[in-house]
Amino acid sequence: MEGKSTLALCRQPPYGNALAREGLEAVLAAAAMDLVPDLLFLSDGVFQLLDNQSPAEIHQKSLQRNLQALPMFGIEQIFVCGRSLIERGISADQITIPGVEVRQVQDTGKLIAAYDTVLSF
Amino acid sequence: MKFALAVHSAPHTSQSAASALRFARALLAQGHELYRVFFYCDGVHNGSVLAAPPQDEADLVGEWQALQQAHGLDLVVCIAAAQRRGVLSESEAGRLEKSAANLAPGFELAGLGQLADAIANADRLVTFGG
Repeated sequence: MEGKSTLALCRQPPYGNALAREGLEAVLAAAAMDLVPDLLFLSDGVFQLLDNQSPAEIHQKSLQRNLQALPMFGIEQIFVCGRSLIERGISADQITIPGVEVRQVQDTGKLIAAYDTVLSF
Repeated sequence: MKFALAVHSAPHTSQSAASALRFARALLAQGHELYRVFFYCDGVHNGSVLAAPPQDEADLVGEWQALQQAHGLDLVVCIAAAQRRGVLSESEAGRLEKSAANLAPGFELAGLGQLADAIANADRLVTFGG
């Protein structure tokens, strides 16, 4: 399964929609099968990267554990859409995944176009 | 060309479940191959045999079943997403001690590995919904 570049788009906010969690679960499962995707957080998906979340207050499981597992599964190319951050008033120091560098991209279209397969969550 | 589809929306909720079906029909009619349809997230509801839409509305589950019969399609419902939402095969219902099973004939439950396999083997993966 190697040799096919795959990008997963994470577009949903962390707790408003099950796609955020299930998207990360799909990404981790693919990585476990040696199909290691890169990730691009964009639109409301950038909210997944905010630190200091307290989802227990709304009886939700934290997504942090799934995010922290990414580097352990070999997923290290992680991008975030710079414009999505600006539109939501989020600064670079508010977003973090422990153990991974999250790189800002300005031209998401150019990034996406370079991949063989794109998953969308 | 070899296609795989990922369906993330429930039928009768979002247009995208119906669009996935129409896209599948169109690509088969043009002579392309459909490697697999993977139903994930709310898309697992496409595999529930208990859906009973009014007679003047499209019966998406029945239409997927008919397409599956005609072309021998591989319709895979993600088992983890299906358990959460109550789409169970006979064996899963028994294992989980639930009182009923509702996975439609023609669909099968399998893990996320089938999505990774579809990515690896299809020329194009097209996602619907979410």
